[in-house]
Amino acid sequence: MEAKPTRRNHGESVDAGKSAESPDVGAGKLADYPWIYALYELGQTAATGVDPLKVQQDILLHIVSGLDAESGSIAMIVDGTDDVLEIVAGTDLRPGILGSRPPRGTGVFGHVIATGQPLLINGAAAHTGLPVRLHDRPDRARHSAMCWPLRVHERTIGALAVNRAPGLPRYTVADLDRGQVLAGLLALVMANHMMHVERETRLVELSTLNAAMQRMNAALEDAQDQVIQTEKLASIGQMAAGVAHEINNPVAFVLSNLGSLESYVAQMLDVTDACIAADDSSAGVVAQTAARAHALELRNRIDLGFLRTDIAALIAESHDGLARVRAIVQDLKSFARGSSDEVWELADLHAALDSTLNIVRNEIKYKAEIETHYGALPEVEVLPSRLNQVFLNLLVNAAQSIPRKGHITITTGVKDDEAWVRIEDDGSGISKENQARIFEPFFTTKPVGEGTGLGLSVSNSIVRKHGGRIEVDSEVGRGSRFTICIPLHHTHDKLREALAALN
Amino acid sequence: MTTLLILDDEPHVLSALRRMLMNQTAMPAVPDPHVVTFTSPHDAIEFVRSHPVDIVISDYRMPEMDGATFLAMVRKVAPDAARLMLSAFTDLDGIVRAINDAGIFRFVAKPWTDTDLRASIIQVLQHRHLMLENRRLADHVRAQNSVISRQQLELERLEAETPGITRVHWSDDGGVMLE
Repeated sequence: MEAKPTRRNHGESVDAGKSAESPDVGAGKLADYPWIYALYELGQTAATGVDPLKVQQDILLHIVSGLDAESGSIAMIVDGTDDVLEIVAGTDLRPGILGSRPPRGTGVFGHVIATGQPLLINGAAAHTGLPVRLHDRPDRARHSAMCWPLRVHERTIGALAVNRAPGLPRYTVADLDRGQVLAGLLALVMANHMMHVERETRLVELSTLNAAMQRMNAALEDAQDQVIQTEKLASIGQMAAGVAHEINNPVAFVLSNLGSLESYVAQMLDVTDACIAADDSSAGVVAQTAARAHALELRNRIDLGFLRTDIAALIAESHDGLARVRAIVQDLKSFARGSSDEVWELADLHAALDSTLNIVRNEIKYKAEIETHYGALPEVEVLPSRLNQVFLNLLVNAAQSIPRKGHITITTGVKDDEAWVRIEDDGSGISKENQARIFEPFFTTKPVGEGTGLGLSVSNSIVRKHGGRIEVDSEVGRGSRFTICIPLHHTHDKLREALAALN
Repeated sequence: MTTLLILDDEPHVLSALRRMLMNQTAMPAVPDPHVVTFTSPHDAIEFVRSHPVDIVISDYRMPEMDGATFLAMVRKVAPDAARLMLSAFTDLDGIVRAINDAGIFRFVAKPWTDTDLRASIIQVLQHRHLMLENRRLADHVRAQNSVISRQQLELERLEAETPGITRVHWSDDGGVMLE
């Protein structure tokens, strides 16, 4: 017998067998409030994170019992873009069907999802003429089944099917229509459930992503620290000549002075020994006279007055030399302090400038005269060794920009909750097109091997870390003026980062 | 008397060097030292212009002028003064100029060792003394040569006038053979 698909209302009814309208027993419980409430409750449990498969199965069983069906199944589109169907729940299914993914567009589910219309099948599906293969089990050859698409907001998210055994009355179109309401409800519950599952997955994904980002962030910060440290070492390297000179000079004269002192002391001890011998009355008159003559001769040979004044000068100069070595070593130490032990501390910017000047002065004094005009500055909360690095960079750049002999002026002051330090030179200046690039990493106009191209880039990032900025004003042939502005009150990293992001 | 001129922008280095050189008890000692020190290269060059100096010792890194430039000027003004460079730091370019332009005799690194520096100075002084002596002798030889060549000229004139007159042939028994 030919199956004749007939369309009615929004649904589709396929009557493959005898068109025996059965009494309305199908959706008896649908109007039953507790039943709907139970379904709602099941939907709620879906959102609480219990095993999703179990919840789906429970919902299905609830529906199957509600529709007086013998069996049923739910298929969901698991991947919105690919329209992949997955059987997520079912009763009386052969093993392997649950969780399987039927080929796209096949079967009753495929048909219903493709058309978006509910389907009523009475009789063997194979005879319906539909492009479907309902069941190949002979005992299911004749049965009554209903299938609804599950739609939310005009979007099909899956399908629900229920089957009734041959012994029971067949479903009717009225059942199909009433079931439509149920399908809508189920669609909401399933969508809710899927959203919940999706949210859980997203959350896991997000936290994984977050952890990965935190790791990357840490790695990035490490890398940045490395760059800053490397740049610092490079700029100390550039200072090496001055520092070596400044350390070797005092060491040289102190060493030499010690040599001279040794010989002075030897001479004086000789005289002392001779005097003691001359005083020794037990030695006999002749010997004592000889000893006296010897002592007198020695005494006359040395210039005691000279030794007296020269030894005092020698010791004072050596003291001064060693104090200078100690100072430069301390400055170097405070300057070269590692990035790991850096802490925000209240610091006197003038002291920081002076200690940096101590290191660079020896390098710079051959190129420029340094003038300082310090204003009144309160203590500012900074990372002192980092800020020293900025000062050093700007001072070295200023000196290097001076072709023969020039001036470097350092001025400080306070304006609008900001401390500023201005380092000004009368060197060669920076062209307009280069000014736009000076803070780029690796940008340098110095010959290969002389500059890393990181100095200003690192300086800029250090000043930004302080919540400040570097202003540049330069003209070719006239010189450059770099102004570092730092907030008097250090805001917390997070807040500043947030503000920086907004800017 | 040995006049030693020392130039360094660091006064303490100058006084330490003066002490070391003036000290006659430490060996080897510079004979009869007369030490003049300067912190300014311009003052130093003025001194070299107007006084005889045996050896000039200069630092390399100085604010007004580097040591290589200064010693090159000394070389022009007083070529016979020995030149020695004493420095804590020099780049390659500085050393090249010190050797090629200033013709330094020695380069001593700071910090120096007193004994080594004194030995270097004495060696440079001896070398200079030998050079001066060598030149004096060479001049002497040249002067003598010029005397000889006058006699040679006379001989040649005589020979031209009377050929064979400058050559004497001896016989086996010691007699003079005339041709």
